[in-house]
Amino acid sequence: MSRKVCLLLCSLLILVLAACGGEQAPETIQIGAVVPISGSLAGGGGQVERGYQIAVEDINAAGGIYVKEFDKKIPIELTLLDDESDPNKLVTLLESLNSDQKVVAYLGGFGSGQHAAAAAIAEKNKIPYIGVAFALYAPHGQGYKYLFSPFPKSQDMASDIFAMLNEYLPEGERPTRVAVFQEQTDWGVELGDLWREQAAAQGYEIVVYEEYSVGSSDFTDIILKAKEADAELLLSLPTPPDGITIQRQMAELDYTPKFQFTIRAPDVPTWKDLGEAGDYVALAPGWFYGMAYDGVAELNEKHMEMTDRPADPIVGPAYAAVQILADAIERAGSLDRDAIRDAIAATDMDTVVGPVTFREDGTGVVNAPILQYQHGTIELIYPSEFATAEMIYPIPPVSER
Amino acid sequence: MNIILQNIVSGLLVGGVYGLAALGLSLAFGVLKVLNIAHGELIMFGGYIAFFAFSAIGVDPFLSILIVFPVLVIFGLVLHGTLFTHIVRFEEEDRIKNSLLIGFGLTLILQTIAIQLFSADERSILTAYSSAGFELGGIRFPLIRLGALLLAIVSVVLLEIFLNRTWAGRALRATSENWQTAALNGINVRQTYFIAFGLAAGLAGLTGVLLATGFSVAPSIGLQWTLKALIVVVLAGLGSIRGALFGGLLLGVAEALSAYAFGSEYREIIGLIMFVIVLSVRPQGLFGGDHA
Amino acid sequence: MPKLTPRMIISLLIALALLLLPLITDDDNILTLLLLTFLMAGLASSWNILGGYTGQVNLGHAAFFGIGSLITRQMWLGGWPFALSMASGCVVAGLAAAVIGLPAFRLKGTYFAIGTLAMAEALRITIGNILPTVTNLPTEVIRNYELAPRYYLMLTAVLLIVAITIYLNNSKLGLGMMAVREDEDAARAVGVNVLRVKMIAFVMSAFLAGMIGGAYAFYFVSYYPNFTFGPLFSFDAITVLYVGGVGTVVGPLIGSVFFVILRDMLVKNLQGVHQLVFGLLFIVVVLVLPGGLVEAWDRIKQYVRINQSPTKNQHRETKAQTYPGENLH
Repeated sequence: MSRKVCLLLCSLLILVLAACGGEQAPETIQIGAVVPISGSLAGGGGQVERGYQIAVEDINAAGGIYVKEFDKKIPIELTLLDDESDPNKLVTLLESLNSDQKVVAYLGGFGSGQHAAAAAIAEKNKIPYIGVAFALYAPHGQGYKYLFSPFPKSQDMASDIFAMLNEYLPEGERPTRVAVFQEQTDWGVELGDLWREQAAAQGYEIVVYEEYSVGSSDFTDIILKAKEADAELLLSLPTPPDGITIQRQMAELDYTPKFQFTIRAPDVPTWKDLGEAGDYVALAPGWFYGMAYDGVAELNEKHMEMTDRPADPIVGPAYAAVQILADAIERAGSLDRDAIRDAIAATDMDTVVGPVTFREDGTGVVNAPILQYQHGTIELIYPSEFATAEMIYPIPPVSER
Repeated sequence: MNIILQNIVSGLLVGGVYGLAALGLSLAFGVLKVLNIAHGELIMFGGYIAFFAFSAIGVDPFLSILIVFPVLVIFGLVLHGTLFTHIVRFEEEDRIKNSLLIGFGLTLILQTIAIQLFSADERSILTAYSSAGFELGGIRFPLIRLGALLLAIVSVVLLEIFLNRTWAGRALRATSENWQTAALNGINVRQTYFIAFGLAAGLAGLTGVLLATGFSVAPSIGLQWTLKALIVVVLAGLGSIRGALFGGLLLGVAEALSAYAFGSEYREIIGLIMFVIVLSVRPQGLFGGDHA
Repeated sequence: MPKLTPRMIISLLIALALLLLPLITDDDNILTLLLLTFLMAGLASSWNILGGYTGQVNLGHAAFFGIGSLITRQMWLGGWPFALSMASGCVVAGLAAAVIGLPAFRLKGTYFAIGTLAMAEALRITIGNILPTVTNLPTEVIRNYELAPRYYLMLTAVLLIVAITIYLNNSKLGLGMMAVREDEDAARAVGVNVLRVKMIAFVMSAFLAGMIGGAYAFYFVSYYPNFTFGPLFSFDAITVLYVGGVGTVVGPLIGSVFFVILRDMLVKNLQGVHQLVFGLLFIVVVLVLPGGLVEAWDRIKQYVRINQSPTKNQHRETKAQTYPGENLH
């Protein structure tokens, strides 16, 4: 009898002690990502997925993230779901990550349109959201508190190209006659307007400004206009399929500007399929595997194991997004969403994309390198202190390559 | 250089691809009365086969037709044997409905397989002559696109010969006009269906080759090309073989001219509006009414 | 008012449960998933009026959904009262159908289907050109975003459409529609004004699609204006309807549950191959149940009846004889 009482008392004591010991540490830190793995954005989505996966593996290999509140390292559990490139599915999956997984933060998917919808859900659910692979500035103008994007924005892309040309070329040799092929989407409009502004400010003249809608199967019309106007610099931001068709038709119609800066389309690793026709194009994917920051070599090695090539352009920023989040959780010392949000805002750290801080509007202060395909390999040409090769200018006509 | 003529020529060259894309769809519709909305996915697979034949073993894309066509025909036969053969038992109305549904399921399956096998990145073929071309009267003719148009024309001619000169082809035509009468006349309708569907898939494969050489292929391109092909098929008149090619060329030129006149962002809209107008004047399509 | 059958009682109970649900749970996950199920059900049911009852396959249904959402969103965010905005969206969608209807109905069968598809595509690209920027709810609205009102609006819209289809089943108009579907010439011979019936069905169908579009404009935080014009909204609506059971009231409802909720489960549990599995499952359903999932329900019921009591067999046979006429669910 007394033994039973003793047992009862002991177990009560244990219960009380356990209750006093505060909240039990969770086994994992729940992080959610909704990424397009199928559908039209799947190519870029795959890069984002690889970046997240490698980063989470690396962090968990070191035991996870130290959380002060529980005084221990806790591994990350990343739930990554496929939105099929459909904003409706994206929203439902983000909601279910909130309800089922109780994620402490969202990692973004791919494509500016998807990010715009996702950021709004993050804001509504008050969950910090880190998104890469979107250069569209507009969502940041909404005054969202939970949206962070350590990725170059349209403003950077618009000014850098002219800054680079002005730095490398003496006046008189610059390709001042500019053609813009503007895709009729919000990013296209945003960047097109910025290009117009910047061109005027930096001494360039836009001689052809042509709009087209996504998914066209023939670009003869706008290419001929640029050729007729003798445009020396071509600026565009096509989707990969449109970009590939434009590049082919430029070669077929024998139009080579003195310099070509194409955003987005040449970021896909398969741009190399175009061979000589795709050579000498300058691009700004937001990151480059040849940049000498801490962790880049290891990242390239792991990416090699997965795909037989060094890390793709979006893999780096995706990896950095996880680094930033992990750092913020550690500094927050808790798994509280608002504490993590404040810690992200205060980020000041080195990542595989270089040093990162955030502005008030959630945009990241990050490097935006300009690269150029040179004889089939990508070289970094700007900013000059990181350059791995000199800019090739003017680019030779296709027929003479 | 004459810009307007150059635009027309480019429109014609692209139109050939539209025509070829529509050809298989039209054939399957004409004979089986099924609307295979996975046609674009078959095109996509054809493109990938050509791409890998080129990149892995260096087969010229226009030679790889000899691989792509039979492979896709066999694929088509398998698809018909496992899926579409269950549909052709129904009445015409239900055939269309059920083929839409089967096609929908098939698009999901084929896209997943493509992503798993090939990854989602756009692939394209660039041969040594991809940028080559010649000028004639100030107008540039790119070789690769001339080749594409030629392939489309040859396909139509061979198909016409097959339909008119061979016994199997006549059986196809008879079945497309009235399968009951055809069956009464001793035609093996089941077999005819197989042939038609196989040929349709093969033609989709050829279209894929042209996408890989003139554009790019990716797992998700199917819907876009199915829609384009559907519009050409109806513009031409359902089941009209020659009409499919002319319809494609017409649409290509119309798009090119509207891009020239109204700006590139309006190219497809004008094409579509023209299509609606043509239909409201001639509801059976340009070449419809009398069968191929 | 017909007398209450067990099926009606069950339906009413389900409707009641759906109405009470937001009071029980504030789980946005469940509400979002149901809301999207309603969306599909609403699109499919509104398509059903023209496609299922009247037999005119409209592949451009998304255009009317798009018009409804576009007008509602632009007016509402432009400062108009929401109710007025949504009503305008419905009316404009209906008017658009009235304008398009006359030339479109010159086309028959597949020509009509592809003609409407081309029209919707032209509209989609045009809207994309004119309004290329994403439309966001204002940040203040997002911060205080409540899902329950959106849920109720969409649910109400669907219930309204369901009520209308039930009415059609028993009305002269509905019978006229079905007569047109079965045989236009015969319908004309017995005095049905075929074009008028088609036009009414088209305008109704478009008006209701516009209503669903309006509810969507109220619900969705951020989308491109031309997104709602996308061909997939047409194709999905049709797929949902066909897999559920065409020309019936419950078909689109069952179909949308299958289409949205099953798919969602697959996405979460079968990463990478979820589309493939869904595609296979889908094909199996189509091949095994050519009449849609509604047919499965009837088959099960028949099976149960046979096994329950042999005396009821006779009843079953009389039912089977009347069955092929109309599926008056």
